[in-house]
Amino acid sequence: MAEPLPTLPDLRRMLTPGHLRDAAHRLALGIPMIDDVLGGGLPLGAVHELHPCRPLDHGAVSGFAGALAALLHNNKSGKQIVWIQHDYTAMEVGALYGAEFFGLPLSSLVVVHVPRVIDALWALEEALKCRAVDAVIAEIAEDGAVDLTATRRLALAARDGGGLGLLLHHRPSVTSSASATRWEIASAPGVRDAFGGLGRTTFALSLIKNRCGPCGCWTLAWDYHERAFFIPALPLGVAQTARDRSARARSARAA
Amino acid sequence: MWLRRLATDRLARGQHAPREEPFVVVAPVKSALRLVAVNGHAAHLGLTIGMALADARAMYPRLGCADADPDADQHLLSAVADWCDRYTPLVGIDLPDGLILEVTGCTHLFGGETLLCRDLVRRLNAQGFEVQAAVADTVGCAWGVAHYGVSALVPSGAERDSLAPLPLAALRLAPAVVDALARVGLKRIADVLDRPRAPLAARFGQELIRRIDQALGHEDEPITPRLPIPLYVAERRFADPILLEADVLGTIEFLAQELARLLERRGEGARRLQVALFRTDGKVYRTEVGTGAPLRDPARMRALFAERLAAVGEVCDPGFGFDVIRLSALVAERCDAEQTGLATPDHEAEFAHLVDRLGARFGLRRVVRLMPQDIHIPEFAISAVPAHAVTMSGHPGVQVVEQDSQGSVRPIRLFARPEPIEAIAEVPDGPPVRFKWRRVMHDVAYAEGPERIAMEWWRDDQGRTLTRDYFRIESRAGARVWVYREGLYGRETAEPRWFLHGLFA
Repeated sequence: MAEPLPTLPDLRRMLTPGHLRDAAHRLALGIPMIDDVLGGGLPLGAVHELHPCRPLDHGAVSGFAGALAALLHNNKSGKQIVWIQHDYTAMEVGALYGAEFFGLPLSSLVVVHVPRVIDALWALEEALKCRAVDAVIAEIAEDGAVDLTATRRLALAARDGGGLGLLLHHRPSVTSSASATRWEIASAPGVRDAFGGLGRTTFALSLIKNRCGPCGCWTLAWDYHERAFFIPALPLGVAQTARDRSARARSARAA
Repeated sequence: MWLRRLATDRLARGQHAPREEPFVVVAPVKSALRLVAVNGHAAHLGLTIGMALADARAMYPRLGCADADPDADQHLLSAVADWCDRYTPLVGIDLPDGLILEVTGCTHLFGGETLLCRDLVRRLNAQGFEVQAAVADTVGCAWGVAHYGVSALVPSGAERDSLAPLPLAALRLAPAVVDALARVGLKRIADVLDRPRAPLAARFGQELIRRIDQALGHEDEPITPRLPIPLYVAERRFADPILLEADVLGTIEFLAQELARLLERRGEGARRLQVALFRTDGKVYRTEVGTGAPLRDPARMRALFAERLAAVGEVCDPGFGFDVIRLSALVAERCDAEQTGLATPDHEAEFAHLVDRLGARFGLRRVVRLMPQDIHIPEFAISAVPAHAVTMSGHPGVQVVEQDSQGSVRPIRLFARPEPIEAIAEVPDGPPVRFKWRRVMHDVAYAEGPERIAMEWWRDDQGRTLTRDYFRIESRAGARVWVYREGLYGRETAEPRWFLHGLFA
């Protein structure tokens, strides 16, 4: 009796590298729509690439990377986060500044300034291998050095260390790489809050490469008070800001 | 130790001067060119230091000469001093052309004082230096014997006998004092040694008595070392020079084990380590690494130096190989042994090691933590502090920032220099409706502000630093930026300028 032919999802699962299939090592974004596509969340122990859609979206790329790191830091044991900054990108689009407004505690953030792209890749690999690091974020100004071989090394290092590697490109990159996912990030017009403020940071994400499933486009908002992503479909500003935060205010005053 | 022909040796080594012919170095002294250094052949011809070049040329028309370069001579002397580090860590420079080595406790490593002295002279001769060296119990005696004496080794207690026949200049006296003593018939050290001290001091100055005391060991004379004396040292010598980086690193680890034993005995750990690589041809490379926490683990020391050597690799050319490698701890701190769990991995130590390695590669100042400061001027509100200098407990931690806005109030990326933009505002002190940054026009969809930040009056440069009105702006495409208008319209300036200071997410 012939075995039933495997279906397309089965084949895809068989082709996915083993460590990316493991559901335990994932960072769930908390949005079922996206987590399903990713197979339960963003795979940890892997490298992901992020790049801006337009020149003014560099802030959004850093913000999304910071939000992912904060989410991970919040969920896990609270180990260290390493942010590797290439001197060129610091000059071109500004140095990392208000990370704590993104939910990244400064006490567990180390910033490394590197002069060359090769140094950034080396530092990224070293930091990924270290088991005391939750997430490593590296900004790369040019794509020439980031080829398949380099990203393969990074992917292996990330697999050993089990941390989350985020590679922030300065401009949309077209070179092939061994990363697990690749995201194009733009900032999207936000929903104003009840007080007439700008409201939550809103991202327009497009997943343009995914080794474990299909791609897609979403709009997400990040709430740094709650350290969580939301779908900004409805203007929920009123309900959110009306929440009782007296305990937080007390602790702030005590501090 | 006296490099008696330093200037001419330097030129001969660089092949700017013939070694086998008379050669002199001249410098203008009182508007005449006079000889300041002569080589061996020139000395045999009877040329002496201080002679005018014209006189020397009259005697020997084909005499070669070059201009003096005291800086180059001093540089060479420091290089030789570096090289002499192989004998003892305490090397002092005796300008203009001498070195003082404190070899107490080091001689047995070379088979005794005589052999050490002979080894030093032989090696320096091979490098093209003419050297006169002497070993004695006091600096003064060694100096005198090296410059004027014959025997290289003065046994302990024999200072008096060996100094007695030497001329008075061997006491390191000023030429004027030597002249004055010569005028009254005192020419040798023996002539003054047994004379009553009070009349000598009264007539020729206290300096003479002090120099005699120093030479005989009645008065202590400290040596000023060129380099800081390391707290702990381990070193290894090779009969055959080693070339490969793997061998160098292997040796460093071996030395680190030795150093770790020394450190452990005193309950300390190294905060700053230095490796000195002595190349066979006399060049010495020194590389330092700092650590975030007191360190004793040999494998980690090796890893740090592996990074450091990789970072400075091109500079550190092995040439024909290294024959001495020395590892020293320059700064050490108390380091108590810690009980670590068997099951749980030690994340804190692992991370400290990562920071050390990144620091060894890029420099400790490039691996930083961001520290919030009690200043409201945005550029200074967060400062970068080297990560190895901040302890986890010392960090102020998360600052709870309460705000009404659900967006962040400070940008995630800040420009070190605010970028000028062209902005059009509806009213002079209102937010912009359109701005042009890097030649691209952006329409403003929404603006939050102003947040007025005035410069601190006590740092205010006579009112020239202007108040800033910051706006958080969302462009029509959704990008958020932080812009400010410099100067209050009508009060501080008639034409306020606009700047873009940061990017929000």
